[in-house]
Amino acid sequence: MTNDQLQHAIDLLRPSGDSRLLTHLNSCVHCGLCAESCLFYLATGDERLTPARKADLVSSIYRRYHSVTGKLLPWLVGARELNSESIDEMVELLFGSCTLCGRCTMHCSIGVDVTFLVQTGRKMLSEMGLVPATLQATVQAAVETGNNMAIPVEDYRDTLQWMEEELTDEVGDPEARIPLDKPGRKILYTLNPREPKFFPLSISAMAKIFYAAGESWTLSTRMYDVTNYAYFSGNDGEAALIADRLWSEMKNLQAEQLVLAECGHGTRAFRWESPNYLERSFPFPVMSSVEYIAGCIREGRIRLDPEKIRERVTLHDPCNLVRNGGVVREQRYILQSFVPDFVEMTPSGIDNHCCGGGGGMLSMSEYNEWRMKAGSVKAEQIRRTGASIVVTPCHNCVDQLIQINAFYKLGVRILTMAEIVADALIIEHETRIAKQSRAPLK
Amino acid sequence: MPWYEWMVVLALGISLCVSLVHFVRIVNAGIPRDLAPAAGEVSPAVRYSFTGAMSPTKKESAYLHLPTYATGIIFHLGTFLSFFLFVWIWIGLPLPGIPLVLVTGFLTLSVACGLSMLGKRILERKLRLLSNPDDYLSNMLVDLFQATLVLSLWISAMKPFCFLTMALLLLYFPVGKLKHALYFFAARYQLGWFFGRRGVWPP
Repeated sequence: MTNDQLQHAIDLLRPSGDSRLLTHLNSCVHCGLCAESCLFYLATGDERLTPARKADLVSSIYRRYHSVTGKLLPWLVGARELNSESIDEMVELLFGSCTLCGRCTMHCSIGVDVTFLVQTGRKMLSEMGLVPATLQATVQAAVETGNNMAIPVEDYRDTLQWMEEELTDEVGDPEARIPLDKPGRKILYTLNPREPKFFPLSISAMAKIFYAAGESWTLSTRMYDVTNYAYFSGNDGEAALIADRLWSEMKNLQAEQLVLAECGHGTRAFRWESPNYLERSFPFPVMSSVEYIAGCIREGRIRLDPEKIRERVTLHDPCNLVRNGGVVREQRYILQSFVPDFVEMTPSGIDNHCCGGGGGMLSMSEYNEWRMKAGSVKAEQIRRTGASIVVTPCHNCVDQLIQINAFYKLGVRILTMAEIVADALIIEHETRIAKQSRAPLK
Repeated sequence: MPWYEWMVVLALGISLCVSLVHFVRIVNAGIPRDLAPAAGEVSPAVRYSFTGAMSPTKKESAYLHLPTYATGIIFHLGTFLSFFLFVWIWIGLPLPGIPLVLVTGFLTLSVACGLSMLGKRILERKLRLLSNPDDYLSNMLVDLFQATLVLSLWISAMKPFCFLTMALLLLYFPVGKLKHALYFFAARYQLGWFFGRRGVWPP
């Protein structure tokens, strides 16, 4: 690491632009009451893992270099130098034991935005080239190949073709399609690369919903990846580059609306962060697929069979979609419209516990042990509901929940929202054809 | 005017000037800019941030720690009351029997709460790990101020000590963690702004 990199990292703590950084760097009173809001502390009881400690790691460095008291009397205010010791601790705590879920922020007695401070700390580490190699590799794959799993275009096409066959079989219509690179469609739909790589049936599930709704939509081969792991690595430049590709693809395909696949952080990174990365406002509407599906039900464009799902179902709220993205009611509206035995976890909604897989944790295999320990909080929540199906509108959460399910022997099925909705879809060919003729197909 | 009163005047002047610097920095920097289209309204969320979100029914840091929460509330009320009483005494207003007893009782309780929080910080490993000398000093200064104020209500010879601790408190206010009294309002506002725009608050 060069002195320049170190200086740039320190400069990131110089409050500029707006009062957000200045405010939160100076607000914590070290009351420690946030500890129980953090699943890492809850699961391990390790006193080093409290949110206040993570926030203080960042603000103590701010005090050392950017506050008068910290410069003159560092011992008095606990001001720390940015050196190998503090850097090692930052990597371990800010990357290895925080999912940026934001639960501590919401419950802080003062109102300190701990997530924002952790994110600032990650930006400092990114500036110094200290992003964990596994996370950086995921970002690099997205930057270099256009998707974070480096799936070759041919493999992607083959998977979609296979899923199209599944779709035609399932709906009994040889004309059913998964449209690819079709210009002028109403909706450009994105995917989490985990779908073509590991869970292709979730693609056909969403295609089935689009089919039933008579929707005008398309996927893209050039840019379909909804994820943006640079949001987690703290590299705004790379995050902007990835986000810009999706903006460009909207323009290329002249789509009217962007529907983001079930991915919590992908939705947050694009819906909430990308206009700020790119310093421009959206020229097109953006919505999550959960909002899209809820809209279809509300408008009567799809019908669901309430007899289809007889098991008890519970819902896991992805932190980035719900607490940090405001999509709270739509997923409940969907499930309550056709699942007779739907139960909430405790706590749920904006207060829900993270699954442990967020913040890039799933891609950082070096922290697998902590991730699985942190998952014990979610495992216990699931167990208490007595549900046999857990639905979550996020592919990263699906991955973590599948691992939790096996590790803690929960014996549940994990489904995305599209999958459970597709299972209960009533396919009415005549109705669909009528809808299609009314829809503004281009 | 006695020397100790001059000290408070001087300390107040310095404290106000430095606090003003903090205040101007926050206000000048302005609220964050967000180009993403809002999904909710900021004003009701900011109101909620200062009210409902702070209540022990909603805030986990409160409802999981009710004794600590109550202790903190009493200690803060005691601090505000102490500032008020300090001015009351300084301008020479009388404090008759029953209010004097009530105030003494409440401030004694408040000092006890402050000391219990200090004790907790010393004894609990989790809090020790988080704490720096500023955390202990800030608590002790406020405890001392409240205690000397109570004593000076009954023993006039304690008045110089009370004014001296007030001067120290005022001087320390803008440099240590006591300045959270300023930043608290900015932090709650920004939390309301963030969750309001995203349509999360009010729930």
